[in-house]
Amino acid sequence: MNINLSRLANIITFELVRLFKTKRGLLALSAFATIWFILLYYFISSASEMINSASFEGIVESFFGTLGLSALLDWPVSEYAIYWLVAVYFFPMFALMVCSDQFCSDSQRGTLRFITLRATRAELVLGRYLGQLLIIAILIFMTLVATTISACIRDISLLSDSIQIGVKLWLELIIIVMPFIALMSLLNTLVNSARLAIVVASLFFGLGPLIVSFITYQFGQDFYLNLIFPGGQISSVLSQNSMIASQYGLPVIQTLLLLMGSHLMMKRAAI
Amino acid sequence: MSLIIDVQQLTKRYGDKTALNNVEFSLDKGAPVALVGPNGAGKTTLFSLLCGYIKPSSGNIHILGHSPGHSALFGRLSALPQDAQLDPRFAIAEQLNFYARLQGMSRKLAKKDTARVLAMVALSDAANSRPSELSHGMRKRATIAQALLGSPEIVMLDEATAGLDPVNAKEIRAIVAEQASEVSFILSSHDLSELERLCDQVLYLDNGQLKQHKSLDIKGNTRFITLRMKQVHHEIIPVILQMPGVSHVHMTQDKEYLLTIINEQTNANIETDLLTLLANKNWLYAQLINGKTLENQLF
Repeated sequence: MNINLSRLANIITFELVRLFKTKRGLLALSAFATIWFILLYYFISSASEMINSASFEGIVESFFGTLGLSALLDWPVSEYAIYWLVAVYFFPMFALMVCSDQFCSDSQRGTLRFITLRATRAELVLGRYLGQLLIIAILIFMTLVATTISACIRDISLLSDSIQIGVKLWLELIIIVMPFIALMSLLNTLVNSARLAIVVASLFFGLGPLIVSFITYQFGQDFYLNLIFPGGQISSVLSQNSMIASQYGLPVIQTLLLLMGSHLMMKRAAI
Repeated sequence: MSLIIDVQQLTKRYGDKTALNNVEFSLDKGAPVALVGPNGAGKTTLFSLLCGYIKPSSGNIHILGHSPGHSALFGRLSALPQDAQLDPRFAIAEQLNFYARLQGMSRKLAKKDTARVLAMVALSDAANSRPSELSHGMRKRATIAQALLGSPEIVMLDEATAGLDPVNAKEIRAIVAEQASEVSFILSSHDLSELERLCDQVLYLDNGQLKQHKSLDIKGNTRFITLRMKQVHHEIIPVILQMPGVSHVHMTQDKEYLLTIINEQTNANIETDLLTLLANKNWLYAQLINGKTLENQLF
């Protein structure tokens, strides 16, 4: 695999330009900020107040206990307990949408023909992937900063704990979204439009588990096919009870395999 | 002369259809090369193979000693692929700057080179415009500008002047002619007079096969003159045939005649004699071309 770091860095940087300097990117950013403002102001803040309220203590403990999420109540910053529950499902879905056009429109328009005269296909796949990952990482970071501010408005002494939990959740969320972005990279090599990539991804997550269940039922044997679905570990990491390496190893392995598949397809593709 | 492109037994199939069949040729560094042929002859397929956009079904291609798409060709080979467009969301200067950076230029040099190539295609004023804000001709010129970034050794232009108005097409031809001493151009076009003006060599593809690979230089014992008249003169052929040195006169199309000249020292001034003859007869000519037109050579 021929990868030049300078060209790779240029492709990644251009992805950031796409988000922060184009009208469409800025519109998407505004929509994202609005959604998260609503989530933080009306949902996370209110819910954290409820967690901290003595009158709701029993109900909250019972609710979180039933879901196996009691460990979250031990966090000193309750805003983050709610943030985590929202973000762990929001960002993978958001990544599927935002990263749905890694090559499709460029390929249809012929723009890839200009790029592949100056960069290898491996650099293109990896550069676009890392660029999208960086964008999502920046957006996650922004929501974490907003959550920290929200917690500090309630109690400034929570700043240190907020930063500590924020950094931990930031890394965990990045690992969680990694295979979702890689999946969209692979789908972009298989379909012609971003919209179609989203449709295929929806079918993959919607019908895929049904097909896997059917195969398991038919053969009476578990082929571990569930491992092909990004996010399979989310239900395990959600409770934050303990940190098991395999919970984070799976998304990393999925990412590597999906990116290898994307590169293989891109290498063989006519552009 | 150094070899820039070497193609051996190149075949490309799309399912049952053979787009290129056992094509072989080699090109040396030098004057522009024309790639001609009817629609569906395989010109764009050949361009795409040379640029590495598609893989051959069989055969070998070596460009400057490397396989198409090899990173060693980045910045040395550039192209204007047919119908390829810039991203409509970014200003053209921004995209060209990105391409220049990918070619290994520093930030400062990339900016300078972007300004240079945009000035070459008369788009300096539109540098900060997005492609969607430009006319078809301007967008085409912007894509030609990307092919001129840096110092490419080979530039392949697929239908570069298609859809351009005569003024813009002339400007593009002027750019090619101006750069031809430094860069080896490979041009595909349906405008044979354009290729004739610019190119010394022709690759003629028909039905996926390379029918001719020839130089347009005058060689051998005979040479040709193409005479285009303003009006039809029925007696012109016998009159010209009486001129010493003219062995054959053939009407190629309406008001156009192809004269076969015996290539001898005594016939060196045949053009002057011909013009004198036409003036004496009071016959107005439209054009006098040294040699066969490309159209007459190929079809």
